Amino acid sequence: MIFQNLSIKRKLTLITMLTSSAALVLSALSFLIYDLVSFRHLLIQDLMTQAEIIGYNSAGAMEFKDVPAATATLSALTAKEDVVAAGLYGRDSKMFAHYSRNNNVLPLLLPTHSQDRGHRFESGYLQVFHDVTLNGERLGTLFLQSDMRQWSERAKRYAGILFIFVLISGLFAFLVSSRLQRLISRPILHLEDTMRMVSANRNYEVRATKSYGDEIGRLIDGFNTMLSEIQQRDTALRGANVELKSRTGELEKEILYRKQTQEELLKAKHTAEEASRAKSTFLANMSHELRTPLNAIIGYSEMLEEETRESGKSDSVQDLRKIQSAGKHLLSLINDVLDLSKIEAGKMGLHLENFEVAVLIDEMTNTLQPAATKNGNTIHVHVADSIGTMHADVTKVRQILFNLLSNACKFTDHGTISVDVDQCKNGGRDWVQFRVSDTGIGITAKQKENLFHEFSQADASIARKYGGTGLGLAITYRFVQLMKGRISVESEPGKGATFTVQLPAQVAAETPESARSTGSTDVAPLSEESKNRKDTILVIDDDASVRDLMSRFLSKLGFHVVAAANGEEGVRLARQVRPLVITLDVVMPECDGWTVLKKLKGDSALAEIPVIMVTIVDNEAMGVDLGASNYLIKPVDRDRLAVLIEKHRTGRPATITGAPATPFIASGRKGQKESELRSSRKVDHAQDLVSRR
Amino acid sequence: MPKILLVEDNEMNRDMLSRRLQRRGYSVISAHDGEQGHLLACAEMPDLILMDISLPLMNGWEVTRLLKSSESTRHIPIIALTAHALVTDRDKAFEAGCDDYDTKPIEFGRLSDKIENLLVAKRVP
Repeated sequence: MIFQNLSIKRKLTLITMLTSSAALVLSALSFLIYDLVSFRHLLIQDLMTQAEIIGYNSAGAMEFKDVPAATATLSALTAKEDVVAAGLYGRDSKMFAHYSRNNNVLPLLLPTHSQDRGHRFESGYLQVFHDVTLNGERLGTLFLQSDMRQWSERAKRYAGILFIFVLISGLFAFLVSSRLQRLISRPILHLEDTMRMVSANRNYEVRATKSYGDEIGRLIDGFNTMLSEIQQRDTALRGANVELKSRTGELEKEILYRKQTQEELLKAKHTAEEASRAKSTFLANMSHELRTPLNAIIGYSEMLEEETRESGKSDSVQDLRKIQSAGKHLLSLINDVLDLSKIEAGKMGLHLENFEVAVLIDEMTNTLQPAATKNGNTIHVHVADSIGTMHADVTKVRQILFNLLSNACKFTDHGTISVDVDQCKNGGRDWVQFRVSDTGIGITAKQKENLFHEFSQADASIARKYGGTGLGLAITYRFVQLMKGRISVESEPGKGATFTVQLPAQVAAETPESARSTGSTDVAPLSEESKNRKDTILVIDDDASVRDLMSRFLSKLGFHVVAAANGEEGVRLARQVRPLVITLDVVMPECDGWTVLKKLKGDSALAEIPVIMVTIVDNEAMGVDLGASNYLIKPVDRDRLAVLIEKHRTGRPATITGAPATPFIASGRKGQKESELRSSRKVDHAQDLVSRR
Repeated sequence: MPKILLVEDNEMNRDMLSRRLQRRGYSVISAHDGEQGHLLACAEMPDLILMDISLPLMNGWEVTRLLKSSESTRHIPIIALTAHALVTDRDKAFEAGCDDYDTKPIEFGRLSDKIENLLVAKRVP
């Protein structure tokens, strides 16, 4: 096991050494064995020859029992160092003469197992037996004993030489192999070093150097290829990482920016709400404070008038009436302001009750008769017989009619004012329709744009000539909205105007809050008309006032407008109506504009519909990335919006049937005629718009 | 001659309204705050009360509730006069026990109709 854990270098050296040494030792050993065997054989032969010679020489001495002669013969063996003992034994196997070196004791009797001739090895000694004969007669046996000193010395010497030889050659083999093993070990060690460097420093730019074209060379090639692969991936990964980091940074910035924006927006919203509340409170308080002294003015003047009349001072009566009428006018203006502030504060509720429509109309015409006769106008009233009662807020219906009628009286001189009251059915519901027409100065298309806005009269000169605050129609419009009705106007300048108000015969009770919300969440299901039209604009914005403004503006441009108060609703409506263009806000609760945009663009059926972002968030890049066609920042440049939408309309030919795709933005500036031509069409849109609230 | 209690803190309105009511042939007593109104109502037992709502010391709702919860004064009709023509005020008036309701500024003809109606209704049963 130790071997297995050795370094390759050692292993190679060791293997080489062991292999070469083993081969060497084996070959030397076989040579040694062969040499020793043949040397021993030689020694035996030599000793046998010696025995023959001595036997021959001592045959005579034995014949004649001459022991000294025999001993002398044996003494000749002194020269032979390895013969340690020799003995002559008679036929009776008794010792006749002997010789010994170093006092080696010979057995007195011939050793057993003796043979006449031959040799044997006995306890480390070579023993030779030889028959001593004379003339063919056996006289005895010569026994020689050799300690094979020559052989063992030779063996020892050989072993020493062999050992030294093996040692030297082993050393040599070590030297050679430790040089040659580098051929294999060096590239492997180099590869290992490189690998360690790579893994320690994570430096994938390092490359192993290829020395030879063998398997290790190929291994290094493979390793280098792997490294460059890793390096490439590493670089790519690092690049991706850097990009990811920068993207993350951007995103974080974006998030931060959005958070800030959101906070600012919230703050702004709170400030605005606070300001709005303060304004409403101020208006309410102010109106109250103004009304208290007015109350006294009107009351005292009425009282004085009665007293004066009784005392017969008729010229003062006229003056007192003027004070009264001025006071009442002022009061009505204050009431209007208060009403509007209440509507805006969401405090205007509905007090619903049943009332006779005919009675109300009668009452109203009586009330306004003086105003009509003042300008030399006549009032024609037509009330359908079947009209009966309706369920609504009678005060507000009264005020609506009062405003329309007093306007008609005010702007008509020596003309006719007609009041038509009828029933109609629409969308499965009963409606009461009030139509007030006059033959007065009329309204131009341009003036119509702001007709239902607060504090806007058709013309500044009109305010001077006819008086009024311009609140009447705004309040009328809001009241109609509150009762979920519709209001529209048709007019031709110089020829008069017709206002049409449709109110549900049964107005649904509603909280002031929801009356304010103009979102489409609570509107009736879309009419078939909405679904089939090709000039529908879908407005998605959570701000009711934005929806309102956009709807009015776009309606005026001749588009059909559908509005959604939140993202979900927007996507749903988009699927239903397939609008020509969608305008989309970004900052909305729950589902923001980006999400809506993604949904729209992710839906194959809706992806084609151009989306114009209309938002306070200044992030056009994001919008364009997500697929928005255009990006407008609030407050919206209406002209630009109009041009953009028009581009989409003309970009989709044959979408509108009958209507020329003229750049309508010019319609306000072009001649009156064109505007008028379009006006009748706009009426429908305005109607739709109001009905949708 | 029907006796009307006018509870109104604004001196001019009180003066004007009481004079106009007197001219119509009513006898008018007036109070300038809620407490005085309550005291006078209990002491004088008027035929009708015109009750302003925003009054010092005790507001019109409280006075109305007090009068309507007392056996001796429950029968006296009360017309609430509010400056804020809000639906909630109207509901509040009936909730407090007022018999009718009118908004300021007073339209005298309308108010005297309401007074006459209540007085007639009171006489009939």
